[in-house]
Amino acid sequence: MVLRPHPRVSLLLHRRSVCVAVALVLLLAAVMLVSACLGQTYVPPAEVWRTLRGDAGPYDLVVGELRVPRIALGALVGAALGLSGALVQTVTRNPLASPDVIGVGHGAAAATVLALATGAVTSPGAMPAVSVAGGLAAAALVYLLAWRRGMHPNRFVLTGVGIGVALSAIVQLYLTDSELEAAEQVKLWLTGSLNGRGWEQAGPLAAVLLLALPALVWASRAVRPLGLDTDTAAALGVRVGRTRLGLTVLGVVLAATATGAAGPIGFVALTAPQLARRLTRTPQLPLAASALTGAVVLVGADLAARTLLPPLEIPVGALTALVGGPYLLWLLGRDRRDP
Amino acid sequence: MKHLAWPAAALLVAAAAVLSLAVGTRAVPPSAVLDALLHGGSSPDALVVRSLRLPRTEIGLTAGAALGLAGAALQAVTRNPLADPGILGLSQGAAAGVVLAVSLGLADGFSGYVRYAFVGAVAAACLVYAIAARGRGGASPVKLALAGTALSAMTAGATNVVLTSSSATLDQFRFWQVGALSGREADTVVRMLPFLAVGAALVLACARGLDALALGDETARALGHRVHTVRVCAALGATLLTASAVAAAGPIAFVGLAVPHLARRVTRGAAHRLVLPLSALLGAALLLLADVAGRVVRAPAEVPAGVMTALVGVPVLVVLVRRKGAAT
Repeated sequence: MVLRPHPRVSLLLHRRSVCVAVALVLLLAAVMLVSACLGQTYVPPAEVWRTLRGDAGPYDLVVGELRVPRIALGALVGAALGLSGALVQTVTRNPLASPDVIGVGHGAAAATVLALATGAVTSPGAMPAVSVAGGLAAAALVYLLAWRRGMHPNRFVLTGVGIGVALSAIVQLYLTDSELEAAEQVKLWLTGSLNGRGWEQAGPLAAVLLLALPALVWASRAVRPLGLDTDTAAALGVRVGRTRLGLTVLGVVLAATATGAAGPIGFVALTAPQLARRLTRTPQLPLAASALTGAVVLVGADLAARTLLPPLEIPVGALTALVGGPYLLWLLGRDRRDP
Repeated sequence: MKHLAWPAAALLVAAAAVLSLAVGTRAVPPSAVLDALLHGGSSPDALVVRSLRLPRTEIGLTAGAALGLAGAALQAVTRNPLADPGILGLSQGAAAGVVLAVSLGLADGFSGYVRYAFVGAVAAACLVYAIAARGRGGASPVKLALAGTALSAMTAGATNVVLTSSSATLDQFRFWQVGALSGREADTVVRMLPFLAVGAALVLACARGLDALALGDETARALGHRVHTVRVCAALGATLLTASAVAAAGPIAFVGLAVPHLARRVTRGAAHRLVLPLSALLGAALLLLADVAGRVVRAPAEVPAGVMTALVGVPVLVVLVRRKGAAT
């Protein structure tokens, strides 16, 4: 269906996608509520609701100060990762490509660790900027190195993996250099965790997501012809090269900001768009549904990480790797077009 | 060139070993190194050489040789220029085996390590091959490499669950996980030798079969080779070699990738009975030189050998991937 709020403005909506998006929003709300209730202490839903309304109650500290900020951050990080995965996979037309694979996470991590180690950056507010810069630089490097008379998706992915290894070697070096306590801190951050994080990290990420909204309205139109082959898209009047570059930069910025907020959480960006497409059954990867799926996946994974092995908390990034890894292997084993 | 390769490689290994004994925060002149090795003594120089640098050099020699040999065997078995124990997921599998065994209180000391490293590496090898062989085109080079790296990411996730949950385990493993030659028990090498010997014997016994594999499975069969037996035998040998190297020095990256290419280039693609031993020699020299360089780069602090090999090896990988033929 087409929405025409104004004669000059039209918005094409896929009916099933709208239904899926509404269902995902409801599911996300449900998962967030459950996550606010569960943990070391069980809080009844009515009490959670009371805290959210701002009335004083016995659970204000647990729910208001600890759980709600963490859950909100999880939803934002998941949305940013899902969205960025959809953008990168659309551009590369390869379900294996994702910001994790093309070195964004490793680049952001290496930049952050180097900034910490050298003491070049001390204010926590500047950290997201550092990790965005690192992520962008790593992705650009991978792109340049993999470009050889065109771009072969597998070459792109393998180069990304190689650069990732080199960058993580630098990070490992820092781990062996530092005191055990600092090493533990960094190791936790590197595995990706929402523990002890909240509004402070959520602010910059929310800002980036808001700034990205207008770009996304453009992107949702731009991704449609990219599903066709390059010649057809060009014949339809799409500036293919420029569009691809724009979408990639947007995807990398989103992934790098998410990494700065919660560490490099793997596999969410890889799996969320594919899950979302199976729900909406659209020919191209759905952007809004990918973001919502990413949010649901990450909030759910964080809930599991907090409650599976009490009192121990599993870093959520390790959990997503354990669940997402098999999916990636299954994807590889499937009969794909390119050998 | 071909008949000079042997003495040249042997000389290189000897030079690397001397450097490894002499270079460090306390520079020891080669004459004093020789003196310490032959006559012992209790001067500070002699103590540093005998108690610190000698074990380290022995581990570098054996682990480097094992990785070089394993890489050459895996590249021949998979007919894949991108194959190496790290990229195919064997090293991470071995590492995960060790970390899990230690955290569950199963393994203590090196002899326990190597057993679990072997189990982990075998499991990883079977999984990676099974996954890559599915679908159209079979186990193509890039599919194998991608399956290996995906599995590595997953097992690293599992390892990280253990390491972030226990500070004692992290402290024990953060040096080992990077891949380093220092801080091992003195008898590590002695305990490695049986595993190494069996692995090397398996691989070297397959040398002629590996030559035939290069011609394609059909031709190899026509020449009277049991293709399947050769593959399993060489892969098993490579897995044993990888497991012992990882148990001793941690998952060191890229030695197995670059060395066989170098060996084939020097011998002009000669038969595997030349390429395999040469890969072992060059692997030993490369790992020792990486370790020595790591002592010098940021003296007095050290850069672990595994970090050095990763930084040097990645450009090699990028060049190989950019070459025509590897990515299709």
